[in-house]
Amino acid sequence: MRLTVNGTEHDVLSPPLTPLLQVLREELSITSPKAGCQQGGCGACTVLVDGEPRRSCLTPIASIEGASVATVEGLGTPEELSPVQAAFHEHYAAQCGFCTSGFMMAAEALVQRDGETSREEVIEALSGHICRCTGYVKIIDAVTAAVNGDVDTARVEVDQSPRGDEAVTLIPGSPA
Amino acid sequence: MKAVGARLPRYDGLAHVTGRTQYVDDVRVHGTLWTKAVRSPHHSARILSIDTSKAERLPGVHAVITAADVPHNVYGHLEALGVPGDEPLIAQDEVRWKGQVVAAVAAESEEIALAAVEAVEVTYEEREPVFDIRIASDPDAPTFHQWGSTYPHFGPHNHRRVRKGDVDRAFEDADLIVEGVYRPQAIEHVPLETQVALAVPEPSGRLTIYTCTQAMYFSMGVVAAHLQWPLAKLKLIGGTVGGGFGGKVDTATETICALLAIKANKPVKWRFTREEEFLVSSTRAPWHIELKDAVTKDGWILGRRTLTLHDAGAYARFSPYGVTKHAFHHTGAYTIPNVRFDGFVVFSNRVPTTAMRGFGVTSVSMATEAHLNRVAEQVGMDPLELRLKNANRIGDTTGNHVVMHDPSTVVVTLAAADAAGYQLGEEYRSMTSERRTGELLPEHLVAQQAPDGDHLATYNPATTNGGAH
Amino acid sequence: MAVPVEATDVVAPSSLDAAVAAFADGSDVTIVGGGTIVLPEITHGRVRPRRALLLGGAGLAGVRSESGRTTIGAMTSVADLESAPEPLGEAARHVADAEVRAQATIGGNLCAPPGVESPRGDLQAALIALGADVRSTGAGGERTEPVEAFLAAGPEGRLVLEVSFADPEAGASASVRRPHAHAYTIMRVCAARTGGEVRLAVSGAGPRGIRLKAAEAALAGGGDAAAAAERAVDDVTPQDDALASAWYRGKTLPVLVRRALNDLG
Repeated sequence: MRLTVNGTEHDVLSPPLTPLLQVLREELSITSPKAGCQQGGCGACTVLVDGEPRRSCLTPIASIEGASVATVEGLGTPEELSPVQAAFHEHYAAQCGFCTSGFMMAAEALVQRDGETSREEVIEALSGHICRCTGYVKIIDAVTAAVNGDVDTARVEVDQSPRGDEAVTLIPGSPA
Repeated sequence: MKAVGARLPRYDGLAHVTGRTQYVDDVRVHGTLWTKAVRSPHHSARILSIDTSKAERLPGVHAVITAADVPHNVYGHLEALGVPGDEPLIAQDEVRWKGQVVAAVAAESEEIALAAVEAVEVTYEEREPVFDIRIASDPDAPTFHQWGSTYPHFGPHNHRRVRKGDVDRAFEDADLIVEGVYRPQAIEHVPLETQVALAVPEPSGRLTIYTCTQAMYFSMGVVAAHLQWPLAKLKLIGGTVGGGFGGKVDTATETICALLAIKANKPVKWRFTREEEFLVSSTRAPWHIELKDAVTKDGWILGRRTLTLHDAGAYARFSPYGVTKHAFHHTGAYTIPNVRFDGFVVFSNRVPTTAMRGFGVTSVSMATEAHLNRVAEQVGMDPLELRLKNANRIGDTTGNHVVMHDPSTVVVTLAAADAAGYQLGEEYRSMTSERRTGELLPEHLVAQQAPDGDHLATYNPATTNGGAH
Repeated sequence: MAVPVEATDVVAPSSLDAAVAAFADGSDVTIVGGGTIVLPEITHGRVRPRRALLLGGAGLAGVRSESGRTTIGAMTSVADLESAPEPLGEAARHVADAEVRAQATIGGNLCAPPGVESPRGDLQAALIALGADVRSTGAGGERTEPVEAFLAAGPEGRLVLEVSFADPEAGASASVRRPHAHAYTIMRVCAARTGGEVRLAVSGAGPRGIRLKAAEAALAGGGDAAAAAERAVDDVTPQDDALASAWYRGKTLPVLVRRALNDLG
């Protein structure tokens, strides 16, 4: 079956009941959605399916044949952050970072929605997402700023050489 | 000092918000096998037999290990500190908690690994478990640990002791005695990233292990000890932890991954399910804390007796260390001249307990702070004023004979009261951390005070009555 | 090369007729509706379907409102019920979180087995209070029955097609507040007045939604909310579980009945 992920079309070989999360991570090596609980309870696997936030661990791929999936990998780059990414960076909304992708995709769906979004609506929209580090305030600050356009990527001093992503040297023989 | 007060970007912030941070589960190594564990369905039982033959024959299964495959099975997390080992990596002859690993498999998919786990046949003879640490030392309570119902290796003692001053006299001199029992519960850390490791055999004969551990070199030592390998043959890669909170101090998955990887000669990954994380990963310990304070009617605490039971679960792990920290903090941020503390590490048929955010300290802080409110209520004093009166000051000596040279109790309490708009009497608002004099130095506190100007030196316990054991 | 332990035969019908035909008598069929309950079971190896029926494309979703009657297709998402007549709307708004509500279905909610440590099926009390009928198919053909009868018989061998009810004059509910979005509601009492008659039901006091007949009778006999509350526990046998003790439920249920009835007016 076919699936478009971040604008690229893929032929997916996994069996039809395979959760989208597993297809993204194991078949396509798109690893920003996390397997936090694999039972819909933590929000860390949230991606956009045709623009709507969905728990990828609860979604069998056969149920979204031909759909367009968006993950954090498709938002922006360290050099050119998307508004949601810039807001999370500016507000220190990511601590250990493991829940961050899910929060950001739920936030991205809010940003794409028309009209004003109150802080209370942000809290309601994020209520399915669990963070054990931040206590949520910084995340809610970031998302409220992002949905209301109060983001200025220039305010974030972009460090061109982040050290967080160079910790792992791939083993010889492993895919790049 | 450019960093102080500045808003600096997190060093890992950009990697986090672009989804590029590579956690253990994100590392991709071709041909990686999945691990699943055969776990005890009983809280306490003898193992009568284990048959792994059917699992080994399943297509796609590359390795099955039991206790017999572990070069050095019984080990203790604190062996480096002289605490003897008591815990097998994989259960041997008996299981002491529900969920204890009895065997582990490595297979080509998670699905096959689950099927292999089901194919392992284990027979047990159940024993009566013990869960209530208050009765674990009763003569008729079930015993299961080779050391008895409590951990026995605190120097010459079978429990952690603190002695200072003359407690019996303090209780004789007291106007009233305030008692309380406090029982903080077990808490699961719930990191969003469950326990995970990936072990990769290298052509050189070494083993590379990707781990979510919070304690890299410690984990390396544990793996090396079980494998009986020199440290030089191990390369551990970590530092990116998806939440730990103390729960990733225990070496949960690395060693079993390593053994399976060696046996299968293939990369092996083990990621706990959320259910495993809740049910079988270690938790913060539950405690039973009994406090008894000798108090004067004007709010001085003359003495404290403490009995603490720390639920270690089925094996010691870090519990002796936790109860020692607990002992160190049992007078809180207050000066109590006469103390007697007895802290026991009690074994139960629960999952072994471990560190969590202030190991051993938060439990005793909860108990002592709740207890101070109780004291204030019975004395008829404002609870903050009672705290300010008894707060540590420069030159005061703690229950463990440490001289305070920069205590912050007074200033922090005043700042908190101020922030909360809490009304305090004038004499309390003007208090400082300076050495006790005048009304703040009643007769019962004179002897515990270090000589003026001597407070930066370590106080000599020999000059006081008693000492920490 | 990984060897599948057991391959699943997956059918994704694109019409109602095809779904009914594929389901047949339901033997050996695992229904995947929204997937919120069954997918984790499959992922963790607790359910290994031989045949799976994916209902997403079968045309079973949608809410119709005509001649004073609301009809809801089995695959209608819980999110789409948030604006349904009360007390169904209120119950729907308090199921899980936004993402799960968008995926979970009313059919799944009716067929949900109790969880390991807590009851599920948060919409059931609302549907009982509304006097809803369930139309389903399976062995012996199509059947329409009151929701209580459907729940009592259990979902085994049945494919839910739709749920319908006469629009009530008034509806209200009261619940114990959930600690957070991932908790099931400990207990929710729903009340609805339809054709002058008040029906009362509770979710969370047993493995399925339960109609509170004794409390209804107290009302029908001229009693007020307080009188009905006194009879609230007659039809239930509360159990201890991970969410609350039986004692707590027994104490709370009368309070919820009184609040729901006071709100109903």
